[in-house]
Amino acid sequence: MNVLSVRGLTHVYGQGTSSEAVALNNCSFDIEKGELVGIIGHTGSGKSTLIQHFNGLLKPTSGQILLNGKDINESKKSSVESRFKVGLCFQYPEYQLFEETVGRDIAFGPKNMKLDEEEIKKRVLKCIEYVGLDESYLEKSPFDLSGGEKRRVAIAGVMAMEPEILVLDEPTAGLDPQGRDTVFELIRQYREKTGSTVIIVSHSMEDVARLATKALVMNKGEVAMFGTIDEVYSKADELLTMGLNVPQITRIFMELKKEGLPINGNIYTVEQGVNEIIRLKKEGYTL
Amino acid sequence: MIKDITIGQYYKADSVLHKCDPRTKLILTIAFIVVIFLCKNFFSLGLMAALTVVSMLISKVPVKMFLKSMKPIIPLVLLTAILNVFYTTGGEVLLSIWKITIRDKAIFTAIFIAIRIFCLIIISSLLTYTTTPTMLTDGIEKLLKPLDFILKPFNFRVHTLAMMMTLALRFIPTLIEEIDKIMNAQKARGADLESGGIIERAKALIPIIIPLFVSSFRRAYELAFAMDCRCYTGGDGRTRMKRMKFSLCDLFVFLSFIIIFAGIVFLNIKFDAVI
Repeated sequence: MNVLSVRGLTHVYGQGTSSEAVALNNCSFDIEKGELVGIIGHTGSGKSTLIQHFNGLLKPTSGQILLNGKDINESKKSSVESRFKVGLCFQYPEYQLFEETVGRDIAFGPKNMKLDEEEIKKRVLKCIEYVGLDESYLEKSPFDLSGGEKRRVAIAGVMAMEPEILVLDEPTAGLDPQGRDTVFELIRQYREKTGSTVIIVSHSMEDVARLATKALVMNKGEVAMFGTIDEVYSKADELLTMGLNVPQITRIFMELKKEGLPINGNIYTVEQGVNEIIRLKKEGYTL
Repeated sequence: MIKDITIGQYYKADSVLHKCDPRTKLILTIAFIVVIFLCKNFFSLGLMAALTVVSMLISKVPVKMFLKSMKPIIPLVLLTAILNVFYTTGGEVLLSIWKITIRDKAIFTAIFIAIRIFCLIIISSLLTYTTTPTMLTDGIEKLLKPLDFILKPFNFRVHTLAMMMTLALRFIPTLIEEIDKIMNAQKARGADLESGGIIERAKALIPIIIPLFVSSFRRAYELAFAMDCRCYTGGDGRTRMKRMKFSLCDLFVFLSFIIIFAGIVFLNIKFDAVI
């Protein structure tokens, strides 16, 4: 079932002024329930503009956003409701923290949903666990935490609304490799536990390959490709013309294939690569 | 919406006024304001209005932009004019209904004040249209330099003040962008900024103002650190990349203004005052 459908979405910034710019041009695609979609694109390809339409923050110049088959911009009410159904976590979300304690900050979203105290408390406890922090953090000030911890608390604040779709814009930007791995692992676990749909915006092809079930490639405000990781990543030449690079490991294995080694399928992650090399070694090839 | 606010409304063009030294423009703007209040009759005011229109035209800034800056002032001008019509005494009575008498001098005063206010607005907009905020603060710094003599015992300099002004202007667009981002982030968490009474609305601003303060402090700290790293120690002994110089343009503009100002004095003496 399609949880989110985008139909002919076009967005023009500053329409009618001298600085008119088409940010999105006739985008259409469907996202199925439970999927983890990675949106990839070069800087300025319209990724951030696109995701701000998912919860009604930006209104389309033309086109529709259907959430469970209903247009979110139908009425003011449906547009506000979509904010809770589609949890949007912006780039560097730690800058949105404002409460005195971590617990109260996570509770901000649920409070705006007008849930009762008990339910809010339950959700706060659940979400702090989702992001791998323990209960002792709830009473701390968010401003005393480390960068990575702040990021996780901010993500928990969006998760606490229990959205049907969780949208994360560059959730690992500015984190060290370890912090990046932690955040990705948490997102993976969150999806397993809740079964919700997750959309991640990233410019790292490696990260998307590692995590996502589907990839959506944006180029100059248009949907250039949309499909499974295999479908998208096999078109390496096309991706290159859009200023995107397939993962290094993929390129190495493509070269090896050209050299005549019988490599199975395409390799996108280092783990896959290691397994493939072990398999080839067992079969008696020398590398 | 929030992005449409323009601060430091510099309009890039290539004109005599753009090329002028900011000090020339500052001094002449102040002189203009003083002189326009010295005008006593329609001849001198007419000359000032002509000067305003000519300056506006040679600046190569579209007239549309001036109209835009005049628009919010129109109600104020109308109000002042109407009040003047009723409260000015003296002159011949033109009309008298019940307790209200309208005199010819009152009508003159109302027109006079309206023209005066519009001239003031055009001339001061002209200053900001033709001078970048940085040039303006540089000019102010140079002009106020003699004040250092008084400020020195307090370990303060005009330069510091000018630097603070430059930085404040520089950060306005950055902060607007920041507010936009924070507002979107909180809206995405269901923050309701548009409905409710005045107290609720004020409360709804807390999730925006606190992150804004936090990031402003962070930016200020980083900026101070970066300035320190580039050996900034204040204005003493600091040289400039772009030095301000009086050019032929300045001389030309200065002389024409002085001649016109002299003309005003002459017209004031020659003809009778109407207000």
